[in-house]
Amino acid sequence: MSEKSTRRQFIDRSCRIIGFAAIGGAAGLLTHRVSGNAVYQVDPAKCTACDLCRTSCVLSFSAVKAVNQFDKCGYCMLCPAYFDVNSAPNERGIPSGKVCPQDALKRRVVGKVDEEDPNNNYYEYTIDETRCDGCGKCVKACKPPMGNGSLRLEIRYARCVECNECAIMIACPALAILRVPVPGISPARSAEEGKHA
Amino acid sequence: MPEHRCPSRRSNGSRRERRLFCTGEPTYTTDAGGRHAPKPAWLVLIVLALLTSSVLFAQYQRKPPDFGGAYGFPTPEHPEPRADWIRILDIAALAAALGTGSWLILKRRSRNGVLLLSIGALAYFGFFRRGCICPIGSIQNVTLALVDSRYLISIGVIAFFFLPLAAALLFGRVFCGSVCPHGAIQDLVLLRPTKVPERLDRALRFLPYAYLGLAVLFAGWGLYQQRRFLICEWDPFVGLFRVSGSFHMLAIGAGLLLLGMFFGRPYCRWLCPYGAILALLSRVAWKNVQITPDKELDCGLCAEACPYGAIRNLRADRASCVACARCYESCPRHRQPQAAPGGGDSLIQVS
Repeated sequence: MSEKSTRRQFIDRSCRIIGFAAIGGAAGLLTHRVSGNAVYQVDPAKCTACDLCRTSCVLSFSAVKAVNQFDKCGYCMLCPAYFDVNSAPNERGIPSGKVCPQDALKRRVVGKVDEEDPNNNYYEYTIDETRCDGCGKCVKACKPPMGNGSLRLEIRYARCVECNECAIMIACPALAILRVPVPGISPARSAEEGKHA
Repeated sequence: MPEHRCPSRRSNGSRRERRLFCTGEPTYTTDAGGRHAPKPAWLVLIVLALLTSSVLFAQYQRKPPDFGGAYGFPTPEHPEPRADWIRILDIAALAAALGTGSWLILKRRSRNGVLLLSIGALAYFGFFRRGCICPIGSIQNVTLALVDSRYLISIGVIAFFFLPLAAALLFGRVFCGSVCPHGAIQDLVLLRPTKVPERLDRALRFLPYAYLGLAVLFAGWGLYQQRRFLICEWDPFVGLFRVSGSFHMLAIGAGLLLLGMFFGRPYCRWLCPYGAILALLSRVAWKNVQITPDKELDCGLCAEACPYGAIRNLRADRASCVACARCYESCPRHRQPQAAPGGGDSLIQVS
């Protein structure tokens, strides 16, 4: 190449400088919007358990699972999230159907067991995550006033691939998926702060 | 009350001035005059708040039922998200891969090196990180962050969007050739490269720009008030990386891989919206793959070897070259360093 730069080289260099300036400017502009290493989580106060968590996640077996908060749970015998209260009762008056289509909600009797009267016993409800697909039917059934609201949907980080942009967040009609700065459960942030419209 | 104590302005100036102009560390001192002691109204409010909060606590922290036996509440498991250092590691891995790729393509001119690096990137960014976060999808995040002031963007996405762009301005589309897992997987299946008619190729090369425009439009403004991330919804290969995904994604991925057995990198050349931006920037790249006129034999073997139609008139087209080093590998003067007049292993000097 010649010592003196050609016209082509001059144009290239100018364009390169403009390109770097544009990249730097855009990156600088975006630093105002940096959220840090935030993660996505479901706000149980806004969640309507609409079934979109099951279908919208980029994973075909959704990373959203139902989670039982034991200190809120009533340990009821007739759990509205476990039994389908609309199904026909059997001879003992217990509904025959279950809410969970995957049979992921499991229960076991805990504490002192009264053999004669099952209504006198406490039942612990746990979720089998290998079966739960995050449809939220149990969460909907557990919502007050029927239940205590101890069941809620939660993004399980062991499964979440932490996408650029949570696909459920884009789809969620209730704006219940928030970007939280620290891995938490109930972000006390308004929709305007954490979620785009 | 907090008070900025400023040595230089301790005696003169009013209190307000001192607070305005002092920049030292604020020190917390008790006011001897008692001017700022809490007023009774505040006290009443605090007492009221304490009382109500105790009532609220009593309401919500019910005593656990008497289960009988030795049962206590189990502690619910909450898996931790990916640690911060892994996120930083991602950015570091991207930067290191871009640097190594540039060195391999421009200095070493090593096809094997580029191939190894791209396989490594496919393993890490593709199968280990399961295709997220990726620069292709980050276009939409960046668009959204620029359009919507309420939208927050993570630092990893910013890095993944801008680092390959800066690398393209310096060294061409190194990202495509040696870092991108999408490119690597297509490169690996390329068994029988077939030339595409140049006119068709040129026409198809406009598709990425259309796709880019559409993706930006959908991400930034959406259609019918509904924002959508088209690139992520229609990404062909992340489904393969995650071994999970919707049918159309997997089907398009399989189709593109089949097509990619005969035509080099169909997604990169004719669809990838990030490739479109990289192509624009690499037109003015500082250094890039070059076939220099004073050393060449005019044999045209490099043009034959290029599966992407990126060598036109025995010159590498900066916009479409993805820096895979196949041309260097095919060069007879590259294979026989002894025959070169200059000697050394890098025969063809980078201008």
